[in-house]
Amino acid sequence: MLPEHLTIPFQLILPAIFAMGLLLPFKFLGTRKGAWVYSATTSTLSFAFSLYVAFGFDWANPGQLHYVGTIPWVPAFGLEFSYGMDSMSLWLVLLTTFLMPIVVMGSLVEVKGDMRTFHFWLHILEAALIGTFIARDIIFFYVCFEFTLIPLFFLIGIFGHGEKLKAAKVFFFYTFTASLLTMAGVLYVAWFNTTLTPSTPGLAEVYKSIAIDVPGDFHGNATSYALSHYAGQWTFNIKALWAAGRMMPLEQQLLVMLSLLAGFGVKTPLFPFHTWLPLAHTEAPTAGSVDLAGLVLKLGPYGLLRLGIPMLPLAVLAVAPYVGAIAVIGVVYAALVCWVQRDAKKLVAYSSVSHMGFCILGLFAFDRGNIGATGAMIYMISHGLATGGLFLCIGMLYDRFHTREIERMSGLAKIMPLWAFFFCVFVFASVGLPGLNGFVGEFLTMLGTFNSREYLGEPILGPWYAIIAGTGVILAAIYLLYLVGKIVFGPVVLPHWEDTGETGIGGKHEHDLSYREAITIAPLAVACLVIGLFPFPILRSLEPSVGVMNEAVHQQIEEENEQALRTGIEQVQPQSSFANIEMSWGTVYDIEPAEPHAEEGRP
Amino acid sequence: MTGLELAKLIPWIAALGAVVCGLLCARPALKGLAGWVCVLAIAAGFGLTCAAAMPWVTGDQHFETFDHSEITRGEVVTLARWISVGGSYDTQTGEQTGMEHGFNVDFGYYFDGLTFVMLFVVCGIGMLIAVYAVGYMRGDPGVARFFAAMALFIFAMTTLVMADNLVLLFLGWEGVGLCSYLLIGYYYSKDTAVAAAKKAFIVNRIGDFGFLIGMFLCFQVFGSLQFADILPAVQAKLGLIDPYLLTGGAAIAYERLYEVLQTTNASSPWLFYAIPFCLMVGAFGKSAQIPLFVWLPDAMAGPTPVSALVHAATMVTAGVYLIARCMPLFVLGHEHAVAVSSLSPLHLVAAVGAVTALFAGTIALTNNDLKGVFAYSTVSQLGYMFLGLGALSSTAAVFHLVTHAFFKALLFLTAGSVMHALAGTLDIRKMGGMGKHMPVTKWLMFAGCLALAGFPFTAGFFSKDEILAAAMIKGTGDHGSWFYLVLAILGLATAFLTAFYTFRLWCIVFTGETRYEMGDEHHSEDDDGHGDHHAHTPHEMPFWPMNAPLVVLLIGALAAGFLLAPPKMLVGDALPQRMHIAMHESSAYIPEQGAHAGSHTADTAQPDDAHAEEAHADHGHTEHHHEIAGLDAHLFMMILSSIIAIAGIGLAFLFYSVNRSLPAKAAAAFGSFTQTLREKYYIDEFYDRAVVQPLNVISQVLFVVDQLVVHATVMGVGLLPGNVGRQLRRTQTGKLQGYGLGMLVGVAAVALLLFLLLNR
Repeated sequence: MLPEHLTIPFQLILPAIFAMGLLLPFKFLGTRKGAWVYSATTSTLSFAFSLYVAFGFDWANPGQLHYVGTIPWVPAFGLEFSYGMDSMSLWLVLLTTFLMPIVVMGSLVEVKGDMRTFHFWLHILEAALIGTFIARDIIFFYVCFEFTLIPLFFLIGIFGHGEKLKAAKVFFFYTFTASLLTMAGVLYVAWFNTTLTPSTPGLAEVYKSIAIDVPGDFHGNATSYALSHYAGQWTFNIKALWAAGRMMPLEQQLLVMLSLLAGFGVKTPLFPFHTWLPLAHTEAPTAGSVDLAGLVLKLGPYGLLRLGIPMLPLAVLAVAPYVGAIAVIGVVYAALVCWVQRDAKKLVAYSSVSHMGFCILGLFAFDRGNIGATGAMIYMISHGLATGGLFLCIGMLYDRFHTREIERMSGLAKIMPLWAFFFCVFVFASVGLPGLNGFVGEFLTMLGTFNSREYLGEPILGPWYAIIAGTGVILAAIYLLYLVGKIVFGPVVLPHWEDTGETGIGGKHEHDLSYREAITIAPLAVACLVIGLFPFPILRSLEPSVGVMNEAVHQQIEEENEQALRTGIEQVQPQSSFANIEMSWGTVYDIEPAEPHAEEGRP
Repeated sequence: MTGLELAKLIPWIAALGAVVCGLLCARPALKGLAGWVCVLAIAAGFGLTCAAAMPWVTGDQHFETFDHSEITRGEVVTLARWISVGGSYDTQTGEQTGMEHGFNVDFGYYFDGLTFVMLFVVCGIGMLIAVYAVGYMRGDPGVARFFAAMALFIFAMTTLVMADNLVLLFLGWEGVGLCSYLLIGYYYSKDTAVAAAKKAFIVNRIGDFGFLIGMFLCFQVFGSLQFADILPAVQAKLGLIDPYLLTGGAAIAYERLYEVLQTTNASSPWLFYAIPFCLMVGAFGKSAQIPLFVWLPDAMAGPTPVSALVHAATMVTAGVYLIARCMPLFVLGHEHAVAVSSLSPLHLVAAVGAVTALFAGTIALTNNDLKGVFAYSTVSQLGYMFLGLGALSSTAAVFHLVTHAFFKALLFLTAGSVMHALAGTLDIRKMGGMGKHMPVTKWLMFAGCLALAGFPFTAGFFSKDEILAAAMIKGTGDHGSWFYLVLAILGLATAFLTAFYTFRLWCIVFTGETRYEMGDEHHSEDDDGHGDHHAHTPHEMPFWPMNAPLVVLLIGALAAGFLLAPPKMLVGDALPQRMHIAMHESSAYIPEQGAHAGSHTADTAQPDDAHAEEAHADHGHTEHHHEIAGLDAHLFMMILSSIIAIAGIGLAFLFYSVNRSLPAKAAAAFGSFTQTLREKYYIDEFYDRAVVQPLNVISQVLFVVDQLVVHATVMGVGLLPGNVGRQLRRTQTGKLQGYGLGMLVGVAAVALLLFLLLNR
């Protein structure tokens, strides 16, 4: 019914339209309940539409971009809104639209202040997230990526708790500063692209191998189109920039890689750049926390997989062991820190840091079957569901008792059995119990890491990374069962607090889940179970897209390994070794087109 | 095949039962039904097991074998796809076409003799205990939750024993851990129960960590985690199967194994050791062996039927099952170790098993907790099973697993009856002469104790003898190693301790003067129609479901040994023979190693004829012809262990029935060692101080570092622009002289730069 190339803009703009709808001067929107009902309905409609999109998706070729389209913006400067969807985008968009109604449903009681503003920003956030996931143009990607900060800033700053302003500011400046570096890196690649010419050696092959984007009405030789339209021109097309990035020599790739890691690593967050996360989570409203942990954090690994890995294969191989080490340290470090938290929400926040370490580890595993990277993708989805569920559960406690201090409550299973049941489901999903969703991603990322490919005789990550990260599995059991043991089980202890009438729940507050809360949380639990028992369709559709992203790195490994076989391993310096960098400012600003590195190699 | 097609539903029927029980939680009026739903689900599983296994038990159907070898293939039945990455697919049909670097595990079930034996134990004993639990849990407010967890446990446990790949086995493995967590913490208002549940799960997780690493290694070596691929490949490597007979995944796995062996250092193929070692760590966690046994005694905080089913009969034996299932992998390392005279994981399994058996046995000597004694005896008996595995006799180990399931379930359930009668009292010092009030329970437990003590011709006697004989055979004779001889002697010592502490308990509880103290647990809905337990003396179980299963278990505890005993004791009985062979299939993976360890190589060119015939006739039962002191080894061990068991029982009666002043004197004689035993060798305290507290301190420190260093640094950097600005603001004084000076300095600097550049 909808033209294919307009499907995605519609999906993108739908939440924004709904957000604008909230501003209409209808009286019922001014009431708490009215705004809430409106928002719940509209976010469900968005989800329904994304199901329609998923239904129309070409599942036979999930690795290709579908629903592609382009809307010119500043053609002279190569700026355009171009968008498309492969299975990675699709699953993340589905995750976004699936979580949104749940978040809205869960935010009736907690929100103090203007309900309209709150739900307005939630919808804007949804639109920004969808935009990031479907962008095919790097500026479009970046705009949406940064735009997620604004709604979250307001959600935390206005509707948060405690030191909400400080938390919002730290969150905003920390991630914003880091992503400015990413912007610089991206601009550098775009500028580097203008220094290429259609006759740059190797460029045509790269264009051919990455199935470069061409306009929908173009029927000809895609490579020659790309050579004339992208090479040497200002363009921000992601695939064209992949090609440009691959043309760069190692030292330039490394600089760009570091700039990407700055933005995406802080967002993920990677140790030691994670401290904004517990702060932001603790003070954020439940909805903010769920969106932050469930969706916004995913932008980091997604960005690395979508931009960094295909664009900078040499640099990726050079930094992989270091990033892997940081990820492993993060897994163990954050897990240990979790164990001594007094605030339940902070505990879950730190557990996110620990869990996202697995995700990054999987991305940089580069095993032959792309098991690690596929595992990392499904881990993003699983983590969004399980951690989202945990935050919602803790939010429900906060609604009742106005505290999240672990020490102040105990034995809640007695008075809130249904809540306890759901809480345990999410806890065990986070612990990585097989049969629930967490296990699939955790197992695959570790399996991939363990079987990381040999690169010039040495595995890129290798068993030790997996073994040390594996201790995180034990630690996860320790800190999460500590949490459960304290608040769910044990003798009944209820915190006392003064009912100031701020929120909807007054009087008798120690009741089990209301119907609204049960409906909010049940879909998450069901999704956890379904993905745990039946991850096959998701894995199968993710695999080809992940394969496309990892192709360049695998190619690089193969070429160098082959060369090493011919000449003997001892004499070959890996191209991506730091020893190969003649780092001087001269080379960085060297405008000479890079020599094709892949074919000739270095002696 | 229909039997197997249906059998793959066994776990899912239990899962359905769990869901129904879970839904009944919300309907207080129907809670009473939950127990029967659970029983029904398990009974259905038992029925399906019978239906599936019957053709094999009666001998109508045989497992397919690889040509010219006695190695059977298990039957694999796949239910659904589970995790699959890295394969290529036909876009038209969706069929998988290539899996060279891919990873694929399904909900697939692997059926062979070992699986059937385990299924019989899990579903059979599970059903009996569930029936008992219907009576035991009657009137408990959380009864539906209890049976939901129980049914979920059966789901996980049957998945564990039926899985056709290590990952699905791991699902069951962790699943039983979850159920154990939920059931130990069933009385969740008690802090001790919650702490015990947490401890059980975390200690198990440490083992699971080993299991995980083992799986990764397996995948690295074989490129597959399916038993149907790995096991034949290893058997081919061991020379039991002609490698050319392998097909499909098994052939690929063999090739990869071959390649790996080519590339790794042949003198120290660490992979041979690493895989079994990691799996062994997993098994130690689940089966409560040193150093990971500490959780099992605490696990008795759960309701007694749980202790019987989960923490005695089934779940804790999962480690034994895992090693028995993966025996070829262990043998691969073992062979190499024997050839180069070093130690392999299998030696470690045997040693840890024997030491754990003795160690736990000594703790049980002074324990005063009714269930605690049985818990430590479970640890001890599991140690025996590991000794059997380590002595390369997985038949003996699985045999002991089966008999142990019967008699230990009986012991726990009768202990539950005592506990029920005394409203929760567990301290045996507060009991005495209970036999007058509970004569039936008294004699039921007596039978269980006899079996545990290894009294001649009870079930425990035969199975324990098998294990000890296997160890002894490896320890004596021409090729014997002192190593196994020492372990066999440890095993005999444990047998004495077992007999002693078992009857110590029985004598204290059931003989002597009558005395008892009522506990504080009341059953809200009284099962005998009386109002208050306090007003009454202890009494037998009035509710028939609690007694009926005990009778079946009694028969098992006394007669299961005959059913499965060494073939020569069974004349003309087809069924036990089949069962025996079924259990034996797990050890048939082992080249005839019993009598002449180390003397053979995988491809022994021409085994001497007599031996080959014998092995052919008796399926590797060469041990039977080993002689010690002029007697058949088995007969020798039977006589020896009978003497030891009777001596232990006699001593216990002397100490605790005839002359009750003796124990105090004996305790005094041993002095502080008795105290050490009472404090369980201070192991818990040791772990707390050596592991838990340091880790906690590290965590505290890291958190402080996180706040004061990592975060503060960032915040400090954040302050930088502001501070710089603030400092610079001071220069903006508004005084003309200042600006003039600045301008002058600036112009001078620029001039200097220009000058330097131009004159370069």
